[in-house]
Amino acid sequence: MNDEIKNRLNTLGGRRFWLSLVLIGFAVYPFLMSDYFIDVAFFFGIYALLGLSLNVVLGEVGLFDLGHAGFYAIGAYTTAILNTTLGIPVLMLLPLSAFTAGFFAYLVCSPIIHLKGDYFLLVTIGMGEIVRLALLNNPFGITGGPNGVFGIDYPSLGFMDIDTSLKFYFFIWIVVGLCILGLMSLQHSRVGRAWNCIREDEIAAEANGIDVRSFKLLAFVIGAALAGVAGNIYASKLMIVSPESFSFMESCMMFSIVLIGGMGSVPGVLIGAAAISLFPEIFRPMAQYRMLFFGAAMILMMIFRPGGIWPRKRGAIQKGQALKGIKKPLLPGELPGA
Amino acid sequence: MKQMRMLKILGIFLVVGLWAIPFAVAADPVVIGLQGPITGPWAYEGQMAKQSCEIAAELINAKGGILGGRMVEVRVVDDEGQPRTGALAATKLVGQKDVVAAVSTYGSSVCEPASNIYEKAKKVNIAYGATAVRLTDRGLKYFFRTCGRDDSQGKFFTEVATKKFDAKRIAIMHDNTAFGKGLAEDTQNALKSLIDNGQITVVYFDAITPGERDFRVPLTNLRESNPDLWYFTGYYAEAALLLSQAREIGITIPFVGGNAAINDEFVKIAGIDIAKGAFMTNEPLPADLPFDETREFLDAYKAKFGEIPSSPWPLYAADALKIIAYAIDKTGSTDGDVLAEYLRKEVDGVPGVTGPIGFTDQGDREGVPFYLYVVNDEGQIVVSQ
Repeated sequence: MNDEIKNRLNTLGGRRFWLSLVLIGFAVYPFLMSDYFIDVAFFFGIYALLGLSLNVVLGEVGLFDLGHAGFYAIGAYTTAILNTTLGIPVLMLLPLSAFTAGFFAYLVCSPIIHLKGDYFLLVTIGMGEIVRLALLNNPFGITGGPNGVFGIDYPSLGFMDIDTSLKFYFFIWIVVGLCILGLMSLQHSRVGRAWNCIREDEIAAEANGIDVRSFKLLAFVIGAALAGVAGNIYASKLMIVSPESFSFMESCMMFSIVLIGGMGSVPGVLIGAAAISLFPEIFRPMAQYRMLFFGAAMILMMIFRPGGIWPRKRGAIQKGQALKGIKKPLLPGELPGA
Repeated sequence: MKQMRMLKILGIFLVVGLWAIPFAVAADPVVIGLQGPITGPWAYEGQMAKQSCEIAAELINAKGGILGGRMVEVRVVDDEGQPRTGALAATKLVGQKDVVAAVSTYGSSVCEPASNIYEKAKKVNIAYGATAVRLTDRGLKYFFRTCGRDDSQGKFFTEVATKKFDAKRIAIMHDNTAFGKGLAEDTQNALKSLIDNGQITVVYFDAITPGERDFRVPLTNLRESNPDLWYFTGYYAEAALLLSQAREIGITIPFVGGNAAINDEFVKIAGIDIAKGAFMTNEPLPADLPFDETREFLDAYKAKFGEIPSSPWPLYAADALKIIAYAIDKTGSTDGDVLAEYLRKEVDGVPGVTGPIGFTDQGDREGVPFYLYVVNDEGQIVVSQ
């Protein structure tokens, strides 16, 4: 039976079936639920977007980045400051927030991009903390210090404002959907293949003529820009940004999302984001003990499913084939190296 | 096979869906929400607020409840001290139809998004530990607070300066930190009307550099300006040095410190001889409040939890709950509009744990919940009479 499901899953028709089921689920969900659960799903969307953004860096290229909350913060603060001081509409600030976060990533990461593994990780931790502390210290009196920036407008589409939980739910999930489409096609492009090649073996990648430095930087800039988009939407939903929303813990959550879900796998990231954002809500009645459960679940996961809940499929299939010594015809979209 | 799977999926949807329906239908008790940081970095504040609200509710219920015998029930939601979780917690509370109003919350940046959600749901929400001035500047209809604001201390100093010290020439000294400078500027703003009508002059307004050891130059300037009251808004380490050096060069005017300037450490550094007689403006600590309600509340709290709250904020939470219950009882209504109107217009001088409760048109607490403390001859910091 297990095989049967797998086969069904692997056929194109089966995939379409599941995909449409998920899409219908997403579309129907908010109409069945209370506002609270719609909001929970909204923050699930925010984390999905953050997970996807970090996945570009961590999953596709294999760069350890534990300072991603810094880019998220820059996106949120760009929106907050420009909207409250100059009155620029939030939706117009969406690309600008992405650009600012991406540009900051470019500036900060170009001198350190050659660092490897743990060393790079340490620098990114520092970077995230510096951003947070800078916001806390209220430079030039624009970030409002520990109280943050408040009074951000709702995004306006011209004919209507996005101002209810329901509208925000669809807003974030449409953005997430677009990002998934973009990232999926990026995965199958020359850039995606180059990234994966760098992740597997940097020297081999270089020997093949891949410009490792610029591809790494590109991944970083794209990841940061997506985090900036998440920051923009977050700021407009809460109408306030303050430094405690962008703590080191937040970076850790994004890191866990990618690790739990499976590095480099888009459905995996969605599952990871669901786990991270829903788990604390479900276990909230247990108050202080819930982190204990969370920790235990993480440990069990790492023991029994070290590759994540839904690892990148291509690797799994090839591994399975190698183990069984069989050769199945490859399916479209799963060509070797695709 | 396929049908089984569909059934399973439907089943999952059904279970989750049922879960979301708020179950309490029999609305016998009056349910008041409490949103606070039950977990997270400020968990101790949240826990104490929860305990305080429970005690306050118990005291009300012991006297027969409200609305002719209905009990008050506290429903707690956790916001982790985070704006994001705060918004979720507020949504959760307003989604429960039996929750009539909320005590919410500790921390200004958490309070802000939450209060917007309560506002939309037309539910009265009273903050107990959110002091940012701007919160009540937004013109919200359903938002109140029982705690003071960041500029309350400056206002209180103004009151003390005129009523107790009868000062005419005031020196204000700060240390250029966000906190010290903010307090100094707030104080100057609070003094503004008195300055304008010539009752008071601020003869000295300047900063010292924290971390320095020798303050004789700024102190000499201060002496030359000939003030009769001196307010220092910085921290205790500088305050102690400043005071000893000031006494050395012959400045004998009363010294008043902000709430970061005077503590046991200050007394230790300056020595009792110099420190005694130094004043401080501070939020009243629970044990120092003189009201009957305070004693009743603290006795009940101690009987149940073994000790009294260690910070002033939980008492404001208790007062928030108390005043909501009071308003419901007096108006006989649980409607947000009626309650907000009543709290704003009618509530005045209602006895609370932290003193008489009343609200301004903006929703701020009427009166200033600050006390003047003084270092006594034994070096203890006590409420000044």
